[in-house]
Amino acid sequence: MSESRDPNQITNRRSKFIEAASRGKILANKCAKCNHSTLETVYFCEKCSSDVFTIEEYAGLGNVVTFTIQSVAPEGFTDAGLYAWVVFKVDDAPFNVSGFLKDTHTPSELPIGSKVRVTGFDEKHGLLLERV
Amino acid sequence: MPNKVCVLGAGSTRYGKLNENVVELALDASKEAITSAGITPKEIQSGYISNVFGVSDKQVHMAPVIMSNLGIPYTPGLTIESACGSGSVMLREAFANVAAGFYDCVLAVGVEKITQVGTVQSTTLFSYCSDFFYEGGNGASFPGLFASIARAYLTRYKATEEDLAYVAVKNHENGILNPKAHVRKKITIEDVMQSPVVASPLKLYDCCPFSDGASALILCSEEFAKKKGKSYVEIIGSGRGASPAAVQSREDITIIPSTVNAARQAYEMAKITPKDVDFAEVHDCFTIAEVIDCEDLGFFKKGEAAEAIRSGATRRIGEIPINPSGGLKSKGHPIGATGIGQVVEVFEQFTGKAGDRTIQDAQIALTHNFGATGASAAVHIFKKVN
Repeated sequence: MSESRDPNQITNRRSKFIEAASRGKILANKCAKCNHSTLETVYFCEKCSSDVFTIEEYAGLGNVVTFTIQSVAPEGFTDAGLYAWVVFKVDDAPFNVSGFLKDTHTPSELPIGSKVRVTGFDEKHGLLLERV
Repeated sequence: MPNKVCVLGAGSTRYGKLNENVVELALDASKEAITSAGITPKEIQSGYISNVFGVSDKQVHMAPVIMSNLGIPYTPGLTIESACGSGSVMLREAFANVAAGFYDCVLAVGVEKITQVGTVQSTTLFSYCSDFFYEGGNGASFPGLFASIARAYLTRYKATEEDLAYVAVKNHENGILNPKAHVRKKITIEDVMQSPVVASPLKLYDCCPFSDGASALILCSEEFAKKKGKSYVEIIGSGRGASPAAVQSREDITIIPSTVNAARQAYEMAKITPKDVDFAEVHDCFTIAEVIDCEDLGFFKKGEAAEAIRSGATRRIGEIPINPSGGLKSKGHPIGATGIGQVVEVFEQFTGKAGDRTIQDAQIALTHNFGATGASAAVHIFKKVN
């Protein structure tokens, strides 16, 4: 799904990314000049410096590129138990995104290449994922 | 062609959990560097300070405070922040200003004071150096970010967690010989492998400590150095690089582009190749970082550093000694000071002050220091002046 957009109407890109993530989607920008796609939070195209984009919304599905299981968590995550921070390649998109995957205890639970899905976004833990 | 820039003096506090405040640490290191250079403070024309978390020790806008307490309150200074790479990035700016002829003599001092806030708060503050929206905000600590890099590397190149342990053991072996090192303790492969997991696959002994400390240099023009009649070291190469801030945005997670580009620039300026480097101080915040650094700096081919390190190639008597100071892993990592502390090691090596750590017959040395997961980096190359 895509739509044209007036860049002057965009006041908070992160809010838009979060809103889409809350629906299980990943929001991206497709450059109107060179078609390069990047995450919604980028203001200028990395390839051609254009600031005119078309919004793209991807299904929040992807394959694990790499991950860690945080045994020692930073503040805000100390009550989360064992969890994974996961980098995954978004299906049909040319980029990766990273997120929070709760209840992950051993690396064998999350093989490289396995499937994850965006389930939402919350202020405490960020982009929420689940294993598919 | 820029003017030649020299390191005329160097000083450093011990690294570790220290009692002095952030300003005292900077002043102690600065005084040692000034004495080492054989100059008076009034010969300093500008001050460069690198620091990240001054706010946690109740002091920002640090440069005027340091200059005032050195007795030169009317000499300008500035503070530079680039996360864990602050020291080398600041060095680059100091180097550029002397090379351009704006100044003949400057102070470059890096400092950090963080241990007073405790491990959990330190971990949190460090996570603010990441691309927080995508990384820290989703639960990744710095050990976690490097652990994800490690998993990608180990998976692709069939290296092992035990390979990483060899980095830690080697750096502790060197750090024992450094009287200013934070963790002067011999460790074994078994110690590393059996240490608690921090963020899989990285364990406690794969990680550098949180450290306090300061390191300082006196940089000057060649003409200024010659007039002083003291031993000095010449900076023959300098490069800076950048990478996408977030690990997720790197085309290849096992390469740090900022290192590759900074190194290329520095080698070109110095007119040397990696084979000409006699030893290097590299950014080993985690064991995996040293493995990747060694490849990105051109010492080993991609995917081959782990095996080379295991074979002993990076020990003090190896083909390319890495981190004779003990590195961040053993010497410690006061993040604002680290990049300058690496140059202090080079200065001591080239002026006969490295004691049992001395790399015999070394003439060319390289320092490499990056910020966060390599979003910013600088590489410098030094020549011993006989």
